[in-house]
Amino acid sequence: MSVSNLLENWSKYRHTHPLDDGGHADWNAYPSPIKWAMSIDLDACTGCNACSVACYAENNLPVVGKDKYAHGQAMHWMRIERYWGEPEKAIDEFDSAMNFQLVAQNFDVDQGAQFLPMLCQQCEAAPCETVCPVGATNHTEDGLNSQIYNRCIGSRYCSANCPYKVRYFNWYSYPDQEHAWPEPLNQQLNPDLTVRTKGVMEKCTFCKQRTYTARNDAKTEGREIRDEDVQTACQQACPTGAISFGNLFNPESTVAKQWSAQQVDLVKEKQDKDGTPDNKLRGYRILEELRPFPSIMYLERVRESAV
Amino acid sequence: MSENGFNRRDFLKTLGWGGTAVALSGCGNTSIEDGAEFVTSYSEPADYVIPSIGVYYNSTCAQCDAGCNITGRVREGRVIKLEGNAASAINHGKTCGLGQAGVQAHYNPDRVTQPKLNGQTVTWEQALAAISEKLAGASGAEVAFLTGGVSGHVRALLDNYLAALGSREHFVYEAVSPAVERAVNTKMYGTAMPRYRIDKARAVVSFGADFLGAWVSPVNFSQQYAKFRKGNRPEGRGVLVQIEPKMTLTGANADRWIAIRPGTEGILALGLINALGAAGVAVPGDAAAAAKDYTTERVSAETGVSADQIGRLATLLKERTPSLVLAGSAAEGYANGSQNAEAIALLNRALGNVGATIETSASTPFPQLAPRVGNRAALTALNDGLAAGKYKVVFTCGTNPVYSAPASLKFADNYAKAGFKVALAQYLDETAQAADLVLPLDSAMEAWATSVPEYMGGEGNYTQLSVTQPLMERLYADTRSTGDILLALLKQRSPDEYSGFEDFYAYLRSALLANKTALGGAGEADDDVFWNVTLSQAIIPLQGVVSKSAPQSAAPALSAPAAADASYPLRLIPSVSASIRDGRHANEPWLQESPDPLTTIVWDSWVEIHPKKAAELGIVEGDIVDVTSKSGTIQTQAYIFPGIHPDAVSMPLGYGHTAMGRYAKGTGANVYSILDAVYDKDTGELALNETSVKISKTDKRVIIVKEEGPAGGSQVNRAKIAVKVSADKVDLSKEV
Amino acid sequence: MHRFLRLTILLAGMFVATGSHAAGQPFTGTEDQLGPEVPQPIEFPHNRHAGKGEVIDSGAQDPTQKYVGMEINCMYCHTYARRSMVSGIPPLRKCIGCHQSIESVREAPRIKKLFEYWEGTDGKDAQKPVPWLKVHDLPDFVRFNHERHIQRFYFQQGKVTQDEAGGNDGIREVCSYCHGDIAAKNATVARRQKPITMGWCANCHQKDHAVDATGTETARGPNDCFTCHK
Repeated sequence: MSVSNLLENWSKYRHTHPLDDGGHADWNAYPSPIKWAMSIDLDACTGCNACSVACYAENNLPVVGKDKYAHGQAMHWMRIERYWGEPEKAIDEFDSAMNFQLVAQNFDVDQGAQFLPMLCQQCEAAPCETVCPVGATNHTEDGLNSQIYNRCIGSRYCSANCPYKVRYFNWYSYPDQEHAWPEPLNQQLNPDLTVRTKGVMEKCTFCKQRTYTARNDAKTEGREIRDEDVQTACQQACPTGAISFGNLFNPESTVAKQWSAQQVDLVKEKQDKDGTPDNKLRGYRILEELRPFPSIMYLERVRESAV
Repeated sequence: MSENGFNRRDFLKTLGWGGTAVALSGCGNTSIEDGAEFVTSYSEPADYVIPSIGVYYNSTCAQCDAGCNITGRVREGRVIKLEGNAASAINHGKTCGLGQAGVQAHYNPDRVTQPKLNGQTVTWEQALAAISEKLAGASGAEVAFLTGGVSGHVRALLDNYLAALGSREHFVYEAVSPAVERAVNTKMYGTAMPRYRIDKARAVVSFGADFLGAWVSPVNFSQQYAKFRKGNRPEGRGVLVQIEPKMTLTGANADRWIAIRPGTEGILALGLINALGAAGVAVPGDAAAAAKDYTTERVSAETGVSADQIGRLATLLKERTPSLVLAGSAAEGYANGSQNAEAIALLNRALGNVGATIETSASTPFPQLAPRVGNRAALTALNDGLAAGKYKVVFTCGTNPVYSAPASLKFADNYAKAGFKVALAQYLDETAQAADLVLPLDSAMEAWATSVPEYMGGEGNYTQLSVTQPLMERLYADTRSTGDILLALLKQRSPDEYSGFEDFYAYLRSALLANKTALGGAGEADDDVFWNVTLSQAIIPLQGVVSKSAPQSAAPALSAPAAADASYPLRLIPSVSASIRDGRHANEPWLQESPDPLTTIVWDSWVEIHPKKAAELGIVEGDIVDVTSKSGTIQTQAYIFPGIHPDAVSMPLGYGHTAMGRYAKGTGANVYSILDAVYDKDTGELALNETSVKISKTDKRVIIVKEEGPAGGSQVNRAKIAVKVSADKVDLSKEV
Repeated sequence: MHRFLRLTILLAGMFVATGSHAAGQPFTGTEDQLGPEVPQPIEFPHNRHAGKGEVIDSGAQDPTQKYVGMEINCMYCHTYARRSMVSGIPPLRKCIGCHQSIESVREAPRIKKLFEYWEGTDGKDAQKPVPWLKVHDLPDFVRFNHERHIQRFYFQQGKVTQDEAGGNDGIREVCSYCHGDIAAKNATVARRQKPITMGWCANCHQKDHAVDATGTETARGPNDCFTCHK
């Protein structure tokens, strides 16, 4: 984007609220608008890590090695968070000491653990976008939160402002690091996207290279995007099919059906159903109350308590 | 993007430039310099090879024995991504993380690239001549072959080679093997590897079977599990109870996880039969007789599971039929492991699950291609032979016993006594390092092979022959597939029969074409058409042979688990992780960097200690501890883990390599090296969980490198992140 | 308040951006900017293959002296352009396919070289792909899609119908937007004609282009960073 273009379209790429700013810009070359969205069924997710490894394979993520991992420099765009059941005792008892051992002793493991695949939520009003000093991260017409690597100057403001902590910074030039891609491991790299250089931020793109190809094929054939046109790498690998992905604006897509069945509305910061005491739906978005309008709906994990 | 039938040889021929000389796009080249890079240029590509568009070829995953069918995405002659083959009855288009990492086994920087004789690089002619020379002085009984599980045409060739040598010394050894399961299933269900129908069960009670992680065919089971959990399934949403001393991935996904005293699983199973009988379930006579002494009070006292919990389990099993009870390595890895498994199988019979959720599977109509599976007993037998100096030539292939044999066997020392040791290896692992001659193997992305999966999904008598085919040209000119090597060896012994085959590809093609009709190709008049269809699908569906032996009615005599030794008070439960498995994948960096799902630890091994036990021992997270058994001591970091029985500790297998490659070597500690040589009384399988240890603190402490934060995965005082809801609070019937 | 903050940040960003703009002087115009001469393994004459069939000397004995060009459609050789990101270099088989039956130029030095790649020397190295060098190099973080542009400007704008009637004017015009008239009378080996910078790309994306052959309706190219940056 040229400087003049950036200036002209500044507000378009800087939503504060998807409704205030009129939602997406439309790319008039499309047959109809696209909003990529996802839903993740935590009940089906087993925490097996297949999605995460598939993401490494698809998106040229570097292996950083033990030392850098210890410094929190792992580059997993898709990570699995593991949580235990909370102890039934009053939390205050532990808080004073923040003694992990004490907490751990009282974790409730009777119903196993809980797993949460965490990736960029592609927020509609993304906190990361408003703080980038150079406009390297902004909103795309198909509802993604883009990251333009060669525009990024590495201020890391976006990462600081991200409530989900899903942005990853290239502290090193990974092709030069012994762990990442020693010959011939580099031959596995996916040529559909670049390897990021030192000093730039990166994050999940909802497999931009795959959605691009799907859109491109649909345009050439003069038709709408269908669900079967595109799967993200994590979705394609997931052995339990916990991840759905597609165009939320297409009422026929699985994602749109799931969102509407769960009464989760993209542009609401508080869902109507949350106010109803007898709602038996399990769709929710993480940290919705911060108003980032995330594009990923999670479905609560269900466990039988009577056994 | 297409899937096509084609002539493989022409395809491979065209990729000269694509494979090697094309400057790699996507490697961080940000400069623009016209005229500095090459353009992808072919001499004669197939129509469907289009630069910048991926071509998909079907093949078979070789990462574990489940044998999932995969599709490789190939760009400009390089395989870059593996996906599941949607047409597969095993994995239905899905893959696990281990399968995804298959490309890293292929592009691994530490592969053996040339034959090596006593450390010196030699040509294949010299290598084969050396084998020929050594074999000349050996009788058939003096030549031994140690392999991992083998099936398909590689197995057929291997059998032929052994016959040509006059040797019967074929030992099949899998470091982590479901050998007890096979034996007990045959005895109790009449079939070694029945089809488990998790998707049909209304309740699954699993005694330590980690079917979502590393047990038998995890991707298949994961998909069944997803169906099992659906609220809109005709049977309704299923309930999973996992009973095991150390929480596995499956345990982490259970509705109820029960920490049982290690080794008492059989007692609980019999206790449940007893309780079911008391609750009015019609229990068959032999089962009722076997269980009559196992009152709830007694079982509760012996297993540590509360009487209340046993009652709820019995109610669950009574109300939810059909159910499915599974026995996994956590129940089987004891001196009384077979008995435990038999008691658990008896519970299935008492519940009437046999035939409902445990279906008799079909075996392949080509018995010469059927999987030859192994166990530890084979290794023990080989070890005895080696110790006696019986073998002049020993071949090893697809297995690493120098690393994975319990130290008490002294396998490395005995192996050294063999006259001439030949290792067929992809890495210079511990066994290959100790060998005289190392023959470099192709990766699964370069080799031709067929295989028959031991556990088969699908319905009825469906079975299949899976085809492994090269997804790209060899990375190194001097590697060969196992089939190629066996063929070359056979040419030495029976030139008349085999000299007509240029390579294993030629052999395989002719062998398959010779059976075209039996392989379902009757309608294909043209051999090439049949061949192209076969290769484009890489799955040959077959009608299997159902043979069921009569199950034994004998009630198991359950012997009590061994009492704890006061000087080694803790039971060591070696865990098999979904990614590193028995250690053969330790050199794939994605897997090392992929956190263990439960502890979230990376790049190291650890010992899991229950918080109460840790407090008792004065151990905190990150303390470096000595884990000492009767057989040895290893050092590792302590991780305080709530999902373990207080009297047990657990360490992951597969770490602590002393060779193999840059990622595996020196990462973590090798649990095999402290395992006591205790065997299951009935099958001779190594009792993995029969090692008792003591834990002693050293003066060192580290900060554990792991994914979870300092609060250890606590959501205390935080907004809703990972939310769990009780089943009665949701309505799943209308979900999409 | 928010708007105010955003403005401040924007101004700071602009300061940085204009600073670099002044220093680097990225090219934003539309005029030609010749790239370096690239020494190819065979000096391939684009004008002979795709140039206009203008008469040089209709009575000449040597057929190569009769006409300037053969008016071959660019996509006859760069066959992937309509269905792939890259236009592609023709496989050696395609060159040979025609040239094995063009006896008149069989002994020309360039054609002899071509057949060396096909037949090998001393019976070795036959069918060796020609190591053509890349003339239009883009940084790896940029995605340029030939298919999209060819579909849009050749097929959708109906230039294909024009070529179906004969000649290759339509495709030459479309390709020349970015490649210059590579088949002009005096052109031989491909050489970059346009700057191929981001400013140059964006310049065209901001213009209105007819969406079909009638030209009544127009549309602009996408100006979404993520479309081209990967």
